[in-house]
Amino acid sequence: MTGKLGFGRRGAALFGLVAMAAAAAVPARAQRAEPCIGASWELTGPLANQGLMLRIAVETALDKINAAGGVLGRPLRLVIYDDVGEPARAVDNGRRIGERDNCVVMFGGARTPNAIALREPLAEMGLPWIGAISAGTGVIEHPNGRNEWMFRVSMKDRWVTQYLIEQAGARSPSGRIAFVYEGTAWGQGALPDIEAAARRAGVTLAGRETFNIGDQDMSAQMIRLRDAGVDTVVLWAVDRESANMLRSMDRIGWKPRIVSAWGLTTAFARAVGPLADGIMVAGTFNWNGPLSPAAQAAFDAMKAKFPDRIRTTADMEQPSAMANAWDAVHIIAEALKIAGSYDRTRLRDAFFRVNYTGLVADYRPAFIRGNQERMDAVLPEAYKLQAFHNGMLMPIEATPFATRTN
Amino acid sequence: MEAVIQYLLTGLSVGSVYAMMGLGFYVMWSAAKAVNFTYGDIFMLGAVLTVVLMDIGIGLLPAALLAILASAAGAAAIERGFVRPFNREASAIGWMLTTIAVGTMLESSTTALFGSNPRMLPSPLAQEPIRLGGAGIYPQELLLPVALVVVTVALELFYRRTLLGRAMRAVAYNRTAAGLVGIDADRITLIAFALAGVLGALAGVLIGPVIQASSTMGAIIGLKGFMVAIIAGIANARGVVIAGLLYGVSEKFIEGYLSTAARDAIGFTLMVLLLLLFPQGLFGKKEFSKV
Repeated sequence: MTGKLGFGRRGAALFGLVAMAAAAAVPARAQRAEPCIGASWELTGPLANQGLMLRIAVETALDKINAAGGVLGRPLRLVIYDDVGEPARAVDNGRRIGERDNCVVMFGGARTPNAIALREPLAEMGLPWIGAISAGTGVIEHPNGRNEWMFRVSMKDRWVTQYLIEQAGARSPSGRIAFVYEGTAWGQGALPDIEAAARRAGVTLAGRETFNIGDQDMSAQMIRLRDAGVDTVVLWAVDRESANMLRSMDRIGWKPRIVSAWGLTTAFARAVGPLADGIMVAGTFNWNGPLSPAAQAAFDAMKAKFPDRIRTTADMEQPSAMANAWDAVHIIAEALKIAGSYDRTRLRDAFFRVNYTGLVADYRPAFIRGNQERMDAVLPEAYKLQAFHNGMLMPIEATPFATRTN
Repeated sequence: MEAVIQYLLTGLSVGSVYAMMGLGFYVMWSAAKAVNFTYGDIFMLGAVLTVVLMDIGIGLLPAALLAILASAAGAAAIERGFVRPFNREASAIGWMLTTIAVGTMLESSTTALFGSNPRMLPSPLAQEPIRLGGAGIYPQELLLPVALVVVTVALELFYRRTLLGRAMRAVAYNRTAAGLVGIDADRITLIAFALAGVLGALAGVLIGPVIQASSTMGAIIGLKGFMVAIIAGIANARGVVIAGLLYGVSEKFIEGYLSTAARDAIGFTLMVLLLLLFPQGLFGKKEFSKV
């Protein structure tokens, strides 16, 4: 019998065999990856500084690894693309990294929406991804419960909100705590987490206020919170708007305690001067405190490689992210050694077998298979509270704000 | 009551910025029937260049003055290179695209050179606020309405009392006829864009100490300045000033009593409704052309 297109039964069988062979060959080819880490970072635009800080940490870590002979006898390259903080560009970059450059792993940038946009393309390509900043819960905990390719060495918003509420609760004299957040996917995504964390902690939020990116004055929100008797603010924002919020507080003569997520950097303190003193920030690492020999060596290497940008520890403007990125690169190298080849699936599987002592934490193991909540390597136990003091972000113990009543 | 005072104070301050930006659009439109859509970046350059000049040891006032002059020169260069060649015909709209493109380039190059972080523009007037009960305002912010009044009066005098100002009005009224009586309309337009550059950069320098200087600080302000000019009727300077102040104050009351998140949505909806009711703007007059 001949089909409408002129295939005989034998022809159809042959076609089927060829198609099956081709289908089998595609993933096989995709597994033979190159010894490169493909990065999609914010190199230009308002978040360019975050991209730069990632670059400093990752390039320096790779130099160290390659100077010691590379991984599996080959140097590990870094290929960087700029996504300007835009999800569509991050997806484009992910496709280039996975299909054209055929890198063995992708390194994510700062923005959570970019990482979320990459969930499906990464699964399609079978490309492992590791993030050192984007902290959105949904980056790792996928709604379908089937995250197989995305790993993170960073904070997780759901855990951060719990941490912030606990810290705020311990420091608020009256227990009147408010949440102030930016009106972005990052900020709005944190609201349900904060409310859930507050419920768990038995805290009733005395106010919830938001603002738009680029807002220069938040007097209206601050007046409402002040009039509601709030004494402690949990802040979820980045440098520029937070600086404008502080100005608004200063105008009306209101100075509550502020416990912030890690959107605040030393650039914030430089922009507002003494107003930043005492503001507390959650993080994973601080370079201004006592450093372990490994951390000191990492800092010295970054300083030597980027002498124009890194002169003192105060220049580590994204302290936690830089330490996370340093550890993430080393976890990739350890996993590749366990995998024994530049093979993406083997690398993915090897991530679950990595035990490594990093700057931020003792990762034992780094990730747990079958538990997507634990495809985050940094656990809440490793979170640390820091505070701005004299323009520097310091471990809170090294500041006058360590006492909870301060 | 404290809240009302606060909204009035900050509203007048931010409204003055919108009004100064709107005045810049008015000056450009009067001379060229075109505007510089990268005007928000001229505002940004005023603040950013002041910070850069202070970094190399120049004092605040001379740095601000130099920054304003440099921004004005930049605005004039934009007119010469990116508006004039694309505005030769009455219906030309190429200048819209070219000025938007220049804006993107300016913002990107500023981010690359200045960095993406906001920087402090130190001013002694932005250290301690003046408090009125539970409300307050930085002296620096009070400079803005004062500067607006001075600029408005000076602009009025300039247009009415000086030869150059009269030439600008002549070009605004009828470019061809002005040319026939010996006025170099192209030169006048160039000067008008430079003058608008001064206004935009001045606004940036004055508000910079309160909101920090950054490469992206001009985007929204530029848009709102243009919106204020359109609401008022772009050919009416006094109308632009009134619309700017009203818009600034109403924004604060919307934030205070309606919704912070919906402020811009409400503001832009208001603009659309006003334009439906008053197509020439609140203070604009219908323009007739004889054929």
